Amino acid sequence: MTRTPVAPGAATPTSVGVGLRAPHYRDVLTARPAVGWFEVHSENYFGAGGPPQRYLEQVRADYALSLHGVGLSLGSTDPLNARHLGRLRGLVARYEPALVSDHLSWSSIGGRYLNDLLPLPYTDEALAHVVGRIRAAQDLLGRRLLIENPSTYLQFGHSTISEWEFLAEVARAADCDILLDVNNVYVSACNHGFDPGAYLNAMPPERVKEIHLAGHTRKSYPEGEILIDTHNAPVAEPVWALYRETLALIGPRPTLIEWDTDLPPFAVLLEEAARARADLEALDAVAA
Amino acid sequence: MPSLRELQLAFADALLADGRAVAAHIRPGRFAPERHLGVYRNNVHTTLTDALGDIHPVVRRLVGDEFFAHAAGRYLRAHPPASGNLHDFGDRFAAFLAGFAPAAGLVYLPEVARLEWAWHEAFHAPEAPPLRVETLARVAPADYPRLRFRLHPSARLVDSPYPVLRIWQANQPDYSGDAIVDLDEGGCRVLVIRRGFSVELRELSEPEFVLLASLADGRRLEEVIGAEVARVENIDPSSLLRRCVADEVVVDFSV
Repeated sequence: MTRTPVAPGAATPTSVGVGLRAPHYRDVLTARPAVGWFEVHSENYFGAGGPPQRYLEQVRADYALSLHGVGLSLGSTDPLNARHLGRLRGLVARYEPALVSDHLSWSSIGGRYLNDLLPLPYTDEALAHVVGRIRAAQDLLGRRLLIENPSTYLQFGHSTISEWEFLAEVARAADCDILLDVNNVYVSACNHGFDPGAYLNAMPPERVKEIHLAGHTRKSYPEGEILIDTHNAPVAEPVWALYRETLALIGPRPTLIEWDTDLPPFAVLLEEAARARADLEALDAVAA
Repeated sequence: MPSLRELQLAFADALLADGRAVAAHIRPGRFAPERHLGVYRNNVHTTLTDALGDIHPVVRRLVGDEFFAHAAGRYLRAHPPASGNLHDFGDRFAAFLAGFAPAAGLVYLPEVARLEWAWHEAFHAPEAPPLRVETLARVAPADYPRLRFRLHPSARLVDSPYPVLRIWQANQPDYSGDAIVDLDEGGCRVLVIRRGFSVELRELSEPEFVLLASLADGRRLEEVIGAEVARVENIDPSSLLRRCVADEVVVDFSV
């Protein structure tokens, strides 16, 4: 391999990345599109060998990389999964990613993995627990993690802290960074009726090191609508507006276009990325 | 107020076993607690069913999406994933299907699942450099009987009383041949192995299968040639072995 190591933070503040999924490997390797960086789901590369690793090696030779996890289960009260962390550490050593992230959620309990981003109650107990877990995971990985706010579809009656205060305090106390998913802020704000502006204002700008943008789905029930974070559509207009608001508040940040199911042609992802880049550049113009 | 652990155990029970205890802890709003939980239950079931279906596309095609989703739902409740890596989910699906009453009429279905799981394992298995013939040439002839060979890490051997290879082939998206597979055409022996970027399924003769199976078991060369293969007529174990090295099916050895 000919690549030069990319230091953490190499995804420059005004660059836009795209989530890389298997059906787009060949498009990317053939066209070498002008994308700032790629992000992959860490667990998709937990296999020891085979095409996923071969493709990722080739992509990594030309692009900076972000490893985005969905399976660390940081909020779980089970012991940290040493095997999972070991595999992640192996990937970090192999690919030297600029960013490594997972979620403010849990996905396993009693040894059973539901493989979904399940909600935490926002209580002092959960706060202390999550902080300890993130610290332990960061120690074992030997680097700082970015923690992403999830989309949530319910709230617990005994929660005593807002999600934005909880996340800000987790970041401070665990000394981790934040991956701010603007679509998730919007989805949760609609589902629970809070002001997304309050969320954005509570984010410590110096800890927000990445932004996610993705599409969601509106699901209708007789009682009303629930927004679901499906990653199967273009970024919605209100989310673009919230993105511009975010940039104005915290400044330019590496931004990722995420699309996971019903994948469109790669060109559609490039169009979404171009739109995010235009918003970032507009901000630069204002600043200058 | 439940502890975090109590809450998580109750939540998982609600998603995997319709447990009702967690509903009392969900903040009332526009929707009943069950509606909120339903979103998560649907997410979990969809994610896991899709993961299982991606690994078993032929099984899914044979039974149809609706039946597959039903079987997957039963499977994920009986054997929920034990890992945060979805590639590990499904290792017991073939055995589950063998005991799944609604599929009892499709006797070959668990065998197809076994072949697809072998394909999946081969796809993600470690890489291995080919065996260099010079290395083998340096072994003293007196040591030959004690040689043990190692197959490529992706190699899986599948034998079945049903023509599962033909069933698998006839259910590939780009297949254009005869779509009818006669179960009476008998069983088959298959080597599943990754070559470059693709996984290959090769039908083996009985001697080839017996030879590779004994090598995979870690038997010494003298045992392989003496006992197992000699039972079968018309074979030349040394030429078979040479071909296995040339094909990079055998990738290492030890004395």
